[in-house]
Amino acid sequence: MRKPAVILTFALVLGLALFAGAFYCARTYCVQHTANPADDLEWLRMEFQLGDAELARIRELHDGYLPKCGDNCANIAAKKRELAEATAAGTNTVARLDQLRAEVVVLRGHCQEEMLAHFEEVSRAMPSEQGQRYLAEMKRLTLGSHEQVEQSMSGTNGHAHDHH
Amino acid sequence: MPGTLRFAAKAGTNNMNTSNQDPTDGVLGSLLRESRPAPGLPPRFQENVWQRIEHKGQPAPASNWLEAFAALVLKPRFALAAVCALVLVGVTLGSLDGRSHARHDAQERYLAAVVAPVH
Repeated sequence: MRKPAVILTFALVLGLALFAGAFYCARTYCVQHTANPADDLEWLRMEFQLGDAELARIRELHDGYLPKCGDNCANIAAKKRELAEATAAGTNTVARLDQLRAEVVVLRGHCQEEMLAHFEEVSRAMPSEQGQRYLAEMKRLTLGSHEQVEQSMSGTNGHAHDHH
Repeated sequence: MPGTLRFAAKAGTNNMNTSNQDPTDGVLGSLLRESRPAPGLPPRFQENVWQRIEHKGQPAPASNWLEAFAALVLKPRFALAAVCALVLVGVTLGSLDGRSHARHDAQERYLAAVVAPVH
């Protein structure tokens, strides 16, 4: 190998090592020091630039909502288990299975209502602009995928099923 | 051997001295010069010769881009600037990526807390 090629290869390797080292160190430092991993509300503070007073109010709402959310989850899980057992047994009537499915749907709807009500309550505890942004973001993150599926199935966004 | 060479050189010098002293050789020399006239020197001959001598003293220019780049890399000023630039760019991109990663993790934690996982 010629001497210039050796020099340039060595310089390239050294440069890459320097860049990778600097990148990795800075990234690790930022991951460890930007957010507090023990706090569930850290994202709200970071994303919506909340002050201590606003965050304290939202923490109250959050702590009040979590038990309700837990109960809803437990109810839905229990009802789904009941439905699965009834289906597996094979002795239940279709009407009974339909009733259980309807009960799961009702529980999910109730859970979703409470979740959206909580989001609205939290958004009101924020400054107006940030609150609207929070609400839109949470709806997008929680309901967005369902809405996309509904739109694609109903054909409202131009992706209707073609029936030939 | 060196003694022989020295003797031969001395003998040659003696011959040259004796031939230079021969007047017929002077006539022969002038006749030869007239029969084969030497061409005149090109313009600025001396200046060009000195320029070429001066250029010989300087380092040879890089013959291709690889050598030129290698020569540039070896210059301390360029090397230092390259190291600083690489570290700066690495730290900047690493910080941005780290912040983005931390934000994404925080968002995931919040969603996991408020959105029921059994849905």
